Amino acid sequence: MSHRESIEELIYESGARLDERDFKGYLDLCEDGYEYTIEAYSPEIRKDMIWLHHDKAGMDLLFKNLPKHNSDHSTLMRHLTVYKVDVDEAAGEANVVSGLQVFRTELDGGTTELYAVGKQHDTIKLNGGTPKLGNRKIRLETRNLGIGHHVPF
Amino acid sequence: MARTSSEWAKAPNLPESHYVDTRIYTDEDLFLEEQAKIFNKVWVIACHESEIPEPFDYRTFRHPGGENLIITRGEDRKVRAFYNICPHRGNTILYDPSGNTKRMTCIFHAWSFDTKGECVEIPRESEGYQDRFDKSDASLREVKCDVGFGGFVWVNIDDNCGTLKEYVGDALGLLEESLQPEMEVFHYHKAVVNTNYKLWHDTNSEFYHDYMHYFNRITGMMQPGYFDRKYTGYKNGHASVGSMAVKYDAYAGSEDRGVGWPGLAPGGWLLIDLFPGMTYNLRTSVLRVDTIMPLGPNKVIIEFRGLGLKSDTPAERAERIRDHNAIWGPFGRNLHEDLLGVHGQGLAMRDARTDSHYVLHGREENSTIHDEGGMRHFYAEWSRRMGRLASDPERSPKAEAA
Ligand code: FES
Ligand SMILES: [Fe+2]
Repeated sequence: MSHRESIEELIYESGARLDERDFKGYLDLCEDGYEYTIEAYSPEIRKDMIWLHHDKAGMDLLFKNLPKHNSDHSTLMRHLTVYKVDVDEAAGEANVVSGLQVFRTELDGGTTELYAVGKQHDTIKLNGGTPKLGNRKIRLETRNLGIGHHVPF
Repeated sequence: MARTSSEWAKAPNLPESHYVDTRIYTDEDLFLEEQAKIFNKVWVIACHESEIPEPFDYRTFRHPGGENLIITRGEDRKVRAFYNICPHRGNTILYDPSGNTKRMTCIFHAWSFDTKGECVEIPRESEGYQDRFDKSDASLREVKCDVGFGGFVWVNIDDNCGTLKEYVGDALGLLEESLQPEMEVFHYHKAVVNTNYKLWHDTNSEFYHDYMHYFNRITGMMQPGYFDRKYTGYKNGHASVGSMAVKYDAYAGSEDRGVGWPGLAPGGWLLIDLFPGMTYNLRTSVLRVDTIMPLGPNKVIIEFRGLGLKSDTPAERAERIRDHNAIWGPFGRNLHEDLLGVHGQGLAMRDARTDSHYVLHGREENSTIHDEGGMRHFYAEWSRRMGRLASDPERSPKAEAA
C-alpha cells in the first residue's frame, strides 16, 4: 500500500472509530505523544481560540469519565475528505489536511442535521508501514454548536 | 399518588413567591411586554472594552430588547452606541460583528457617519434635497452607553434611565477587588437554544442543580464548606453567591492550579447574577460572563465570554484557557450539562399545549447554597417591573398589596 493509501485509511478509520464510540480503538491509532486540539477563530473578539486541548492521557480520561456525566445522546457522524497529503520521508512524517463535516442525529426519530464544518490538520508518524496519529488540530468554521457536546470531533 | 388533570393544574401548596406560572416562559405577548418593560429599561452588557481597543474599532450588538446596535470607540477614545440603522432607507450600516472604520458608510447609497453618530456625507445632497433637508437631519440614534464593572461596555435604550452605578448598586461588591485589573476576552461563543431566557438565568441562580454536574459534585458538594455558601439579594433583582474552597484535585486531570485570580481565594468561587440576564462567574483562574439575547419566548441566544488578565504571560493565559475549557466552552463538561438542562425545560414547557403549569422555587435553607432564594429574588423584581405576579401573570402585585 502506498503512503497516501495507508494515511487516508488511518484518517478515515480514526473518524469511524469515534463515530462508533470505540474510544479505545481510537486511542490505539494514536502515538504516545498524541495531542488533540479544537480551535476556532472568533470574528467578534478577533482572536484565535482553543476550545479543547488534550494529550493522549487527557483524551483517555475524558473518554473514561463520559459515563459519569450527563450528556446529549444524539450520535455524531464525521465525514472526512482528505484534501492533501505531504509526506516528509526524512522526518518519517506526513502532514494531512482534511475537510471535516460533523452530522448529528437525534436519537428520537433520527433527524440528522449538519452540526459542524471545519478542517482537520493531522501530523502522521509514518512508523515504517503502520502510520499513527501524532497530532490533530481541528479548526472549526462552525461556532454555534447549540448546547455543545461532550465527545470531541 | 400521581395526580389527575385537575390536581395537576392546581397551584402548589407554597407561598405565591415560591413558584411561577409557566406561561411566563411560553407566552408570546408576555415576551413582547418583557422586551418593552424590562430589556428596554435596564442596563445590559453589550461587549467588553478589550474587543474595541483602538479608536474607530467597532462591534455590532443585538440588544435583548430587539434593537440592533453599533458600539464604536471614537477618535477621543470614548465608547458610544448607536442604532445600526441607516436613517435613509433603513439598511443595516455595519454588517460585520467587528471591525475598524473611521467613517461608517452605508453600502446602499453611501450615506456616511462618524463615530459621534453625525452624518458627514450624503451623496448629491443639495441636488436632491435643495435646502429642505441636510446632514444635520440625518444623524444616528445614540443610545446611552457606559464602561465599567470590569471594563464591560453597557448600554441602556431608555434615554431617561438612571446611571449604570445606580442600576448595579452593591451587587458586584464581592468582586470589587477581582474586577480591578485590566482584563481581556480570550473566549467567545454564542449558543442558540430553544428555551426561555429566564430558565438560563435561573440555572445560573441556583446551585441545587450541582447534582447534574459530576465535576461539581465531587469537587464541591462533597467538600467541607459547600453548604455554607450564602445567597445575598440586592436591589434591582441582582443576587450573589459567596465563595467556598473548591477541591479541584478531586477531579482527575483538574489538579495543579496556580494562576488564580486577584481577590479570589485559592479554590474560591464567586457568582453574581444581574437582572435580567447577566452573570459574572469567577472560579479557577477565569472570569466567565454570560449575557442573553432572547429571540422569542422559547428561543434565546446565550453569549459566553471567558476573560483573563491583560498582563498574562503566555503560560498564564494557557492555564486560564485550560481551566476554562475543562468545564466551559462548547466542549466543557459543565456547560453542556447546564445547556442540556435548559434545553430539556424548553422541550417540556415549549408552549401552552404542553400543559405545564408551575415551576417550583420553594426550597428554604437559610439562604445557603441549595436555597432557591436567588430565583425568588429575581421573580420579585420581574413581577414589580412587569406589574404582574410571576405566579399568576394575570394578577398585578399592586392589586394584591392593596
Ligand atoms: S439606505 Fe443607507 S444610504 Fe440609503
Ligand atoms: Fe451548572
